[in-house]
Amino acid sequence: MINEVAPAQTAGSFERIQCQWCQSMNDKSALSCGACGAPLDIRNVVSESGWREAPRIRDMTEIHFNASTCQVEGEIVPTAEINLGSGDSIFFEHHVMLWKDEIVPLSVMPMGGGFKRVFAGMPFIISVANGPGRIAFSRDAAGELVVLPLHPGMELDVREHAFLLCSHNVAYSFVRVKGLTNILFGGQGMYMDRFVTSNTPGLVILHGYGNVFERRLAPGESIIVEPGAFLYKDASVTMQVEFQKLGSGIFGATTMSLAKMTGPGRIGIQSMYLHHKTE
Amino acid sequence: MFCSQCGTPVPVGSFCSSCGARVNDAPPPPPLASTPEPVQQPAAVPASVQRAQSMVAPQPASAQVPQTGAQEKCQWCGALIDTGSGAMANCPSCGAALKARSTASLAGWLEMPPRKDMAKLQFGNSSCQIEGLYVPVADMNLAPEDSVYFSHHVLLWMEPKVNISAMSMKGGWNRVFAGMPLIMTQAQGPGHIAFSKDEPGEVIALPLHPGQAIDVREHMFLVATSNVQYDWFQPQIWYQVRAGKETETHYPVGPFMDRFSSPARPGLLLLHAGGSVLVRQLAQGETILVKPTALIFKDPSVQMQLHFEHPNAGTINWGYWTNRCIWLRLFGPGRVAIQSVFERVEQEGGSIVSHSNATTWNW
Repeated sequence: MINEVAPAQTAGSFERIQCQWCQSMNDKSALSCGACGAPLDIRNVVSESGWREAPRIRDMTEIHFNASTCQVEGEIVPTAEINLGSGDSIFFEHHVMLWKDEIVPLSVMPMGGGFKRVFAGMPFIISVANGPGRIAFSRDAAGELVVLPLHPGMELDVREHAFLLCSHNVAYSFVRVKGLTNILFGGQGMYMDRFVTSNTPGLVILHGYGNVFERRLAPGESIIVEPGAFLYKDASVTMQVEFQKLGSGIFGATTMSLAKMTGPGRIGIQSMYLHHKTE
Repeated sequence: MFCSQCGTPVPVGSFCSSCGARVNDAPPPPPLASTPEPVQQPAAVPASVQRAQSMVAPQPASAQVPQTGAQEKCQWCGALIDTGSGAMANCPSCGAALKARSTASLAGWLEMPPRKDMAKLQFGNSSCQIEGLYVPVADMNLAPEDSVYFSHHVLLWMEPKVNISAMSMKGGWNRVFAGMPLIMTQAQGPGHIAFSKDEPGEVIALPLHPGQAIDVREHMFLVATSNVQYDWFQPQIWYQVRAGKETETHYPVGPFMDRFSSPARPGLLLLHAGGSVLVRQLAQGETILVKPTALIFKDPSVQMQLHFEHPNAGTINWGYWTNRCIWLRLFGPGRVAIQSVFERVEQEGGSIVSHSNATTWNW
């Protein structure tokens, strides 16, 4: 569905272009989508196995949400520079901040289950920045920004420590998934962040390590993903941890944990796994 | 019309089928065979061009495809490609872009040819698409009769129908990988399975012609077709450092080196290297010094030796830490490849008490 028509040919009678990444409508003269920053004049890059590359956002592209704008700067480790409008706010993990205007106030998001996660050894604090003013974010390794505008009534699950920032009108919670960690790191399980929109649209920006690919699974269609590759999924995609035994005479069996994802819905993966040690 | 970004001919439509860029009416870029315009030193350029042209791996005549018209030789793997039949953007055996020029530095290093995103390689009845530019993914579409082997931590995703199992390895028990026994995993078609490493860099496709072998430094291996034979040897490159009362042995190119060969049928070997990849062809008797941890692969004909170099520090004793460089000397003839991102050489400035065959130079 994604790669059928080149975007320029979808313009209807009112001369609008639909973004193939986030489905937002854009002015015909626009070069990039105003809601997600995806270039509109470049055809989607889809592999034969059905993975679509996340759009490579051009340097200095502007993205609009509520009364705020986000400008994406740089390409190898992109920076998201937010110009917060008055009354807007965004939340994020505090360590992804790169710079800010002095006037932008910071606060901590009150969270019910948050203590448990801190107790598990993670310095986990969600910070909130209120407009007006500028604040910029980046993560710590080569990768791509994945801009996911959320329509009302959407639920999105994201791997822990993958989201860069999120607009304030999105509800945030997290769940713990057992067994879902690369066996190299002891298989202690991981958290998954959940973003839910109610009546208003929202914006989530993720940072995927390496390259990011997305695929839409049909109902009942399954794919097996290495846990380190998982980046995000629609809440309608179910995840099941599977153990693959690799027998070996002398050492006994090594077990490999894999995540089986079953549609319907989108699933996003990253090609590089950077493990954030949880001490 | 031609794509302005990659030069692929685009017969219909306004988007390039190989890189997705918008198409304009600009003339095609100059063909691959044309000599690059001379830079500064006219005498030096022909030598590097000549070197670039001789970079292809040795190839028996039997491996060539039958002539059917316009043909081009892949600059990277030497495969003859039939370009007469249509718009072919990539070499089908190694994925190198055909229209893009591969640049040789004035010193004679050849950059790995640019690879277009989604370049597709053919092996047997299977294919492999290389996706992404920062941390590329090798996405295999395996035919029912084909299988590949890999070290299980490089698996990215797979279809449930792909059958994976442990591969028995003769002598593999004394190879230790990051504290874990090295277990090779085998995947049998049909189905899709994809691999990637966890470091920005490049995927290197090395098609092995029957009878060809290649020596690869450990941890570079990504995946290979099952008809590629895997063996290892001890390169005997080591030095011992005294630290207090302890003596530690260091192996700057690793205690073991992988040797991949394809005795009967052509095979495909994929490696992943960090940063950028540079290759050069050493002539008979030619030598070069490289950082031991930067080495990716070499032809088996290339010999190795340690070299210790002591910079002139004047009368000041700077201590061992700044007073020595450890190099790996490579002797031609043969191809050698290095990566631009590499680990620090361990205990480079330490007090070396004994070492494998090496030379020393004091400035």
